[in-house]
Amino acid sequence: MPRTTTLECPGCPPLRALTFDELGLIKVIEARGQQGRAEPKVVERWGEPDSSKSVLAASIDDRKSDPLLAVARRNGTIEVLNPLNGGLRIAVTNSSDNGGDDPVAGLHLFAKKNSELASRSCTLLTCTTNGNASVRSFELTKPAADVASSGSSRTWSVGAGGSISCSKVDGSENYFLFGGKRVEMNVWDLDSCAKIWTAKPPPKNSLGIFTPTWFTSATFLSKDDHRKFVAGTNGHEVRLYDISAQRRPVISFDFRETAIKSVAEDIDGYTIYAGNGSGDLASFDIRTGKLLGCFLGKCSGSIRSIARHPDFPVIASCGLDSYLRLWNVKTRQLLSAVYLKQHLSNVLFDSNFADEEADIVNPPTDRLQHDELSVAERDEGETRPVKKKKSKEKNGSKKEAKAKGRNKEEVSSLGRRDDGETPPVKRKKSKENKGSEKEASEESGCKKLKSKKSSKRPKREDVDSTS
Amino acid sequence: MGGDSNKRKRSESDGGGEEQPPERKMEILPSMIKNKEKRSAVHAKLKQQKKLEKRKKAKARDAAEKRALELGEEPPAKKIPKTIENTREVDETVCKPDDEELFAGNDADEFSSILKRESNPKILITTCRFNSSRGPEFIKELLSVIPNATYYKRGTYDLKKIVEYANKKDFTSLIVVHTNRREPDALLIIGLPAGPTAHFKLSKLVLRKDIKNHGNPTSHEPELVLNNFTTRLGHRIGRLIQSLFPQEPNFRGRRVVTFHNQRDFIFFRHHRYIFEEKETKQIESKGKKTKDANAESGPNGKVIARLQECGPRFTLKLISLQHGTFDTKGGEYEWVHKPEMDTSRRRFFL
Repeated sequence: MPRTTTLECPGCPPLRALTFDELGLIKVIEARGQQGRAEPKVVERWGEPDSSKSVLAASIDDRKSDPLLAVARRNGTIEVLNPLNGGLRIAVTNSSDNGGDDPVAGLHLFAKKNSELASRSCTLLTCTTNGNASVRSFELTKPAADVASSGSSRTWSVGAGGSISCSKVDGSENYFLFGGKRVEMNVWDLDSCAKIWTAKPPPKNSLGIFTPTWFTSATFLSKDDHRKFVAGTNGHEVRLYDISAQRRPVISFDFRETAIKSVAEDIDGYTIYAGNGSGDLASFDIRTGKLLGCFLGKCSGSIRSIARHPDFPVIASCGLDSYLRLWNVKTRQLLSAVYLKQHLSNVLFDSNFADEEADIVNPPTDRLQHDELSVAERDEGETRPVKKKKSKEKNGSKKEAKAKGRNKEEVSSLGRRDDGETPPVKRKKSKENKGSEKEASEESGCKKLKSKKSSKRPKREDVDSTS
Repeated sequence: MGGDSNKRKRSESDGGGEEQPPERKMEILPSMIKNKEKRSAVHAKLKQQKKLEKRKKAKARDAAEKRALELGEEPPAKKIPKTIENTREVDETVCKPDDEELFAGNDADEFSSILKRESNPKILITTCRFNSSRGPEFIKELLSVIPNATYYKRGTYDLKKIVEYANKKDFTSLIVVHTNRREPDALLIIGLPAGPTAHFKLSKLVLRKDIKNHGNPTSHEPELVLNNFTTRLGHRIGRLIQSLFPQEPNFRGRRVVTFHNQRDFIFFRHHRYIFEEKETKQIESKGKKTKDANAESGPNGKVIARLQECGPRFTLKLISLQHGTFDTKGGEYEWVHKPEMDTSRRRFFL
């Protein structure tokens, strides 16, 4: 009998994911069954295949009661759906003054403002490619066909001559950022509709060559901090920006050879996932800019979207190879892959599903433990902002310093190794690393770090003792 | 030495014999014997045995067939040999004929306007910057294969500029022949204006003049045969190739262009065919072929098809399929060949 390699997919925890594709279909993938061994399957398909309804952006507000899902389509309509059964709540055509050739680049469904205004209305932020941003709120009680917007509606222009390709709203939903082709990263305050920060392109390189700005993806680093965010560029660079520090990237590093197409953050606040145009997916520690590891699994098409599950250590990636892939974050192992037949544009997790399902399937004790764990995780995430800013910053800087100390050693050892082998490119990289590190140290303003360079030995001991 | 090894064997068999004594005896392979003379003797013996068994089996099979023939029964079904193709790894992306999403996807893709005969294909063929000897000859033959194709000198233009130009002139596809050391080695097919970019490795190129008894093609629109493009990716490649040719073949020309996919290699052949009646052929030509044909067919004229190869012969292998037009730096790939995919001989992508 011929030997055939079977895909060893260990299965994934019970979860529910929504994928959006180029034909405007929304597919619901559910994994049910024993915890850790469920086989995800397509359970539902909403919508009819129509290329003009191709999904460009999607956003979900998965609260416990009355969750909402917003979907922006190519023909200019924005639909608000019920993510549980796919029922259409309202459909809005995008502001009519700009014609059909101004597709939506970013969409966000506000969660907090909704809860304030009860569950009868929803607020949407849309950002088009040409730079028209608008915040509108709609009543949900009216019949689906009704288009008229009610309540506040603000539209303002943010474009700067280029085309915007990515936009993101931070966890507190007071700030949003965007960037794109020939558009530097911008951070805007949503309350006053004012720009509060713009990035500055990195300087020319040693050959005097200036790479034109072209951002393809961006994400905030953690939920409760709007000052740090990560952006991926068309020139296969991943950059970390810190608004409070400087206008140029704090850390930037290369990843492979093709454009970064999607970036997603972990809930721990320092791990990021980056996917590029040729189907490579990797995780990075953004504090040091080091590659933690690649997700290997015969993925051959551009990765358009990455989503992190809020509770389980699982990420989902999807893209042009029309597979939805679920990965374990810790082991970076492929949990399972679902073939969805179309080029996918977006993937989202429905975090409430796990709760409902687990109550039925799993023994209650397990469930409790898990709940506690997840609660603890959430607590960690939430207690941070409660603390005073100063202490937090100190903590952060200390941690960073530690990390940097370690990183320094690693970098120096790397450098030595490189010297032994003498590949010119690698050495350059290490140099770059050092450069970025310098920047980082400047940013944190730790004089200790600078002195460290001159006297490495004692400092290293210091670091050891503290750690 | 021999004694030594025997001892060891004994000890081994003693150790393992308690657990599974019957299997143990069978398991002594010739490769485990250390003495070479003995090993080769045992090996020869085994081989002889196998041969005899095989012959016996074949004899039995023949006898069964013969008996069935004599009794006028159905002969036992012939066994299908296992090949790499029919034992290929299970692939969920293989297209199914009743998949409505597939048809919807086809309607929405970049080639649908040509394949629905709403517009005619118009092809621009160009080369890499340095092009000589076999390159131009190959292009000459490509021009004779693909109707409505024009050759433009590459000059020193960027490919992106050429794509722009071709868009402006309403070309529907762009073919770039890449040569290396005066030998064509890669083919780039770009769908315009938004279509995908397929990058093929080109090998085993045989030009027309090197084919024995080749024919010369006419200028009729050829028929197109696409074989074995089964998966979703293969389907897409098939449609890309299909969009290079006019959708209404002129059957008068009796010209066929074949793209045959086998184990992810796409074989290109170009033929002329003719249907002939046996009787006319008897008169015309003598030789082995006619004799054989006579033996097979009865007196009443039977129509047979004859083929004559013309035009180039080459093999393509897909390297990457890119979403959008040519852009190596910021492009998004729909499919790239990666070395980690080559872990099985039985995994095919087209």
